[in-house]
Amino acid sequence: MLNQNNNSETINDKMIRLNSLVSWFESDDFTVEKAIEKYRQAEALAKDIERELNEFKNEVKVLKQNFAD
Amino acid sequence: MENQEIQLSVSEFIDLSNQVLDGAFPNVVLTGEVSSFKINQGKFVFFDLKDDESTVPCFMMLFSLRHPIEDGMTVAIHAKPKLTKWGKFSLTVQRVRPVGEGSIKKSYEILKSKLTKEGLFATEKKRQLPEMPKNIGVISSVQAAGYADFIKIIGDRWGGMLVDVAQVRVQGDVASEQIIGAINHFNQQSVLPEIIVIIRGGGSADDLSVFNDERLTRAVASSRIPILTGIGHETDLSLVDMAADVAASTPSNAAEIIVPDKNDTIDKVADRMRYIVHKTLGSVDGILAETKNCLDKAVDDLTARYDEYVSQLGLIEGKLEAYNPSSILERGYVILRGDQKVGEQIGLETAKNYIKAEVLHVKSK
Repeated sequence: MLNQNNNSETINDKMIRLNSLVSWFESDDFTVEKAIEKYRQAEALAKDIERELNEFKNEVKVLKQNFAD
Repeated sequence: MENQEIQLSVSEFIDLSNQVLDGAFPNVVLTGEVSSFKINQGKFVFFDLKDDESTVPCFMMLFSLRHPIEDGMTVAIHAKPKLTKWGKFSLTVQRVRPVGEGSIKKSYEILKSKLTKEGLFATEKKRQLPEMPKNIGVISSVQAAGYADFIKIIGDRWGGMLVDVAQVRVQGDVASEQIIGAINHFNQQSVLPEIIVIIRGGGSADDLSVFNDERLTRAVASSRIPILTGIGHETDLSLVDMAADVAASTPSNAAEIIVPDKNDTIDKVADRMRYIVHKTLGSVDGILAETKNCLDKAVDDLTARYDEYVSQLGLIEGKLEAYNPSSILERGYVILRGDQKVGEQIGLETAKNYIKAEVLHVKSK
C-alpha cells in the first residue's frame, strides 16, 4: 500500500485539503451555519489521515540488479 | 629435458614472459610510496612505487586515477606486471588509492580544492528535498548496520512509501563503481524516484575513502535526482557529502530528514481540529452574547416605555379623578335635582345620603 488511498489522494494532498478547511474557518466566509458542515468534513479527513498514518507500511524492495563493474 | 633449449624470437620471449607474469600475478596489490609522479600528454600517468629497499616503475591511464596522488604519498595499487616490447618492466595499474591517514587527508584536500574551484559544491546548486516522498531510491549494503537503522526509522516515522534498494559494496575498491552504477540506474528509470539516499555507517578513514572518489563525487553532483547522504563520520565531511544536495550526519539522521514523524503530523491534525472547535464555539458564544445584549436592550426599552405609559396613565387617572362627581361630593358639594322654586320638592345628593327637601326661599345671586 503506497502513500495513497483508493482515490489516489496522498496524505500530503489530504493535509493540504485539511489546511484549506482550516483556512475557511479563519476567513471572512466563516459562518456558524456552514461551520458544522465544514467541521464534519475536517473531522472525517483528520480521522482518515490518522488511520492511514498508523496503518500504512513502507514497501522495501531490494533490486536484483548487479551494480558491479 | 632439463637442458632443452627454447628457441624464441625477441617478441615471442616478451609474449611468453608476459604470459608467465599473468599466471604468476593475476591480481597483485602492492603498497608503497609514490615518487617521480608525472602525467604525460594529459592522459598517461607514470610514477615509481618504492619501499626502503626497492623501486618498481608504474604506468596507468589518467582516467583510472580516482584519487589525486603525489610524491611522498603511501598508496595501494592493483596492478599487473608487464614487460614492454622495449624490454622495460613495469606495473600496469588499474586502481590506486591513498593508504594511511596522512595520505588520505592529503589526497582529500587536493581533490576538494580542485572540485571546489569547479563549483561542484556550490550552495546555489543544492536542491530542496521533497517533503513527503512516495518513491525513494536507497543505495547501501543491506548487511550494514546503518542500513538497518535507516529502514527501521523511516518505517517508524512514515508509511506508504516504495523504497527501492540498490545493494552495493560501501567500502573497498569496487564500491565506488557500484555506487556510481546504482546512481545511474535510478537516474535512468522511466519513473524517477523523488530522492536517492546513500547510506553507510561509520568506519575508519580507509573504510570511508570510497566517498572521496572523484568519479563518484562527480556522479553525485550530476544526478538528476536530489541526493541525500547518510554516511557515518565524525571528522571531515566526505567529498560525496559535499556534492550531495543534503548531507545527514548519520543514517538515522538521514531517515529523520527524509520523512516527517507521523506522530508530529497526527499532533498537527489534532491541533487543527482543536482550532476549528475553538473557533466555532467562540463564534457561537459571540452570537449568544450578541443575542443576549439585544434581548437586554429590548427589555430595557420595553421597561422604559411601560414606565412612561404608567406615568401617563397616572396623570390621566388624576385628571379623571378630579372630574369624578363622587370625588366632588366627598369634598362636601351637593347635587341638587328639581325646580328651585318656593314650595317645590327637590332632591339633594351628598357623598353619603340622598335627601328630599322643600324649597322655602329662593334668592338670586
